[in-house]
Formats: sequence, structure tokens, C-alpha cells
Amino acid sequence: MPVPDEQSAPFWAAAAEHVLVLARCSRCGDFNHPPDLTCPHCGSTDPAFVFTPVDGTGTIRSWTVMRQSFLPGFEEPFVLVDVELQAQGDLRMIGRLVDGPDAAINVGSAVSIVFEDIAPRVSVPAFTLSPNP
Amino acid sequence: MEASNQVAIVGYAQSPVRRHADQTLGGLTVETARRAIEDAGLTLSQMDGFVTASLFPTAGAHAAEDGVSLVSANWLAEHLQINPNYAAGFQGFGQIPGAVSMAVNAVMSGAADYVLVHRALHNPQGSYHANPIQEARGSQQWTVPQGYFGPVAMIALAYNEYLQRYGATRDAMAAVVSEARKNGARVPWSYWFEKPLSAEEYLAAPMINDPICRFDCDLPVDGVAAFVFTSAERARDLQHRPVYVAGYATGAPVTRRLPLHWPLDDIMDVGAETGRRLWDRSGVRPSEVDLPQVYDGFSPFVYFWIESLGFCPVGEAHRLVLDGGIDSDRPGALPVLSGGGALGNGRMHGVPQMLECYLQLSGRAGERQRQDASIGVACHSSPHFGGAVVYSAHQF
Repeated sequence: MPVPDEQSAPFWAAAAEHVLVLARCSRCGDFNHPPDLTCPHCGSTDPAFVFTPVDGTGTIRSWTVMRQSFLPGFEEPFVLVDVELQAQGDLRMIGRLVDGPDAAINVGSAVSIVFEDIAPRVSVPAFTLSPNP
Repeated sequence: MEASNQVAIVGYAQSPVRRHADQTLGGLTVETARRAIEDAGLTLSQMDGFVTASLFPTAGAHAAEDGVSLVSANWLAEHLQINPNYAAGFQGFGQIPGAVSMAVNAVMSGAADYVLVHRALHNPQGSYHANPIQEARGSQQWTVPQGYFGPVAMIALAYNEYLQRYGATRDAMAAVVSEARKNGARVPWSYWFEKPLSAEEYLAAPMINDPICRFDCDLPVDGVAAFVFTSAERARDLQHRPVYVAGYATGAPVTRRLPLHWPLDDIMDVGAETGRRLWDRSGVRPSEVDLPQVYDGFSPFVYFWIESLGFCPVGEAHRLVLDGGIDSDRPGALPVLSGGGALGNGRMHGVPQMLECYLQLSGRAGERQRQDASIGVACHSSPHFGGAVVYSAHQF
């Protein structure tokens, strides 16, 4: 269960509405994920991040089938994907692939964001394979 | 590097590597330290420097307590009843090269004359990495609710990227792991002494996080190693043949990532810089190394280190390891795991690599002694988040 903090609260509030928002540096406009204390793109020590909706499509860079997660509350096996979002070069998210371990997965496969409702008002971003164009 | 070949290892001790020791980690560390000092032909009162990297590398919910689950330099000095001129800990990644670099610099600067470098590793009762975490706070909120947790998933993503990019197979990794276990089975203090692993056994093991099975992971253990460092000049008067530190390098990525996200490009791009630094500072070329000891806490690091240090082109290590390419018994092969590594000894971090360099280059490897070893490299952690040390049997 994620515990939002002062900085991340807008991310989890939007996730509950099934909207992906990421932290955008107010100085240079680049996305940062995860947000930190400084902006790695422009070096600002006062990035004043604004959580901004982003296109939740991307491509798979790598994946793993989790047959043991070392965490409580997960039903194994499940798939995790390392996704590069379309929104910005090398902007990466890691999430579950809801299509499951039997799906045909390749490096470069197109995915889009979905949300898994894990508790009332709590949703976690995940991914699903996009239909072939 | 001005310090090149000016500081040497002059003695060592290695405890038995066990699943669970029958004594406290602190007690085992004090005993091992005393043995190392005696091995160097020194007395306790001569020891004036203590360095370690004390990280307790678990993702599990285990307490980190000095003397119990880790041993700091200050704790050890105090329990040897020494008030040292210099006691310090390395806090970065690549704990063994980091600690060695601090020992070298302490001797070179005159901060201490005789520096003990130790590493104490503990295996707590219960699952090493399992964590009953229910609430993911701070940086963990970005990955734990998704189920991404711990170093096995971390290396699984990077390794799968490698397999996909270069068309590597798990058959090649079977050659790596069985080579580590073959050599570890010859090491009397190893957890895996007389317990080799065949390629068939490796390939039959179930996955943990695909494509990582349990034999790709080193086994958590209790174990302690200690090494004594001093100047090359003082080393001349001591009983064992000195092994000189020719150079060292560490590296760390600057690209901001999710917790434990180590994409292959980060590993290889920063790893290439680690390699450049190492060769530049030591004045050695990869072709001059006859005892490369790569890190293998997770088996894919073997490929990453071989390629980052330039022992073969990027993307080709998985071919090099086939057909006896890393067979320590085959003349002309690259014996990258001749000391058994972490896979063949247990989770001693970069100790097996360092110890193999020391034993072979000082001529103290006994039945395992190699005739041709004069320059070794001991790696630890990942090429992009770790480091390596070049050791030499001779000053040059």
C-alpha cells in the first residue's frame, strides 16, 4: 500500500482517478520520475514540481516473471515490465503487466497505462500490451 | 596514480564460511583480525589503522546492529582494545575496493602505518530478503506497490535485457555458474567446499524472477576476512611476499532512477568509465592481467565485468564463457572465477576475488597455486555501481 507524502500526494490522488500524472520541473519543463530534491535535467535546487498528466503509452525495455516477490499480498506469478514512456526519452516506469505471464512479450512491445484498484481510493499504475497496429 | 605499488597486503585471515556461524559475528571478527595481524608478523600494538565497509546488504526486515549483524571499524578497534590513529568506513557501493582505497590512502598519507581492512558478513535467521512491509513510504512508494522489490528483481531486469539484446542463452550461464562452483569446491573454507554444481543441475533449477534461478544468486552466509596493509617499504621487513596495489577505481551512476532500477545501458556506460579509470590509474592493460577475478554475487555480473574491463567486446562475454573460455584449468583461458567467487564461496561480497588475488600473487595458494600469476584484478558489485583493484606481485 503506497503512503503518499507531501510531495507525492498529487500522484496518488490522480492515480485514484485512473490518471497518470508525473512530476514536471517548473524551471526546465522536464519530467522527473521519481521526483527528488533537485532536478537532474537542469540542476535546479527549487524545481517546484507540478504533477502534470502524461501520455501513458510506452515500450517495454525489459521484463521479469516474478515467481517469488519477497513481499506480502502479491499473487505469484506476475509479470513486471520496465517501460520507457513515450512522453520523454529515458523516462522509465516499472509496473505490473496485467496481461500475465503467458502473454507474448518482446523488447519494444507497445504498452499503455492501466490502473489496478487495490483498496478504496487507492489505485496503482500498471501496464497492458497495446493491440497490434 | 602516485600511490601505485607503494602500498601492499602483508597478511590475511579468512574465517570458515558457514550458513550460520556457531559464534557471534563480533567474536568471529575479533578472532579473524587477530589471526590476520599474527599472519603478517605484527603485534596488536603496531596496528594503528582500521577500515571497513560495514553494509549489511539485506532487503529484509532485519536489524542492523554493530557487533551483531555488522562490524564497523570502530567496533573492531575497540574490541581489540586499540585506540587507533585512523578508523573509517567506506559508505559507497563496491565495498571492498572502496575500503582498500581508503587503506591505501591512509598509508600513503601517513595517517596510519599498519591498516587492517576487514569485512564481516552476516546471515540472519529467517528469509534474507523477505519483508512483511505493508506500507510503502518514501522512495519505496514508487516501486513496492507494483511488486518490484529487492535485488533479485533488480538483476532479473538487467539480465533479461542482456539475453534479449545479444541472443544469449541460459546454457552459457550454466558454464559460468558451474565454473564458480568447481573452483569453490576446492576452497577448504568455502561453504561449497567439495560441493560442485553441474550445468544440468543449474538448468534444472526453478526460476525465482525469470531469468534468475537460485543458483544465479550467492548464498547468504556468516563469514569474516581481514587483510593487513602497509607501505611497500615496511613490507620488505615482513615475513610474507607483499602483494602491491597497483591501482583502484570505483564508479557510480548519475542518472536518476527508480529504487533498484539498474538498466543495462547504465551498467555498461558507467562500467566502461570504471574500466577506463582502472587501467589509467594502474598503468596496466587488460592483456597484461593473468588473474582477472570478476564479481559474481549475481551471475550476470560476470558478463558485465568481463565486458566493462575490456576482456572481450561488449555483448560477447556469453560466447567467451562457452567451450572452456573461462576454465581455470585450461591453459590460455581467462580464469575469471579461479577463486570460486561469491557463487562458489558464499555471500562474502568482493572478498573471494581479493583473497584469490592475494593468495596467488603472494605464492600462498597451496594446492591451488597457479604458476603464471603476476597481475590480478579483484572486482566487486556492479561495474556501474562498484569498483575494482589491480594487484601486482611486483612493483613496476
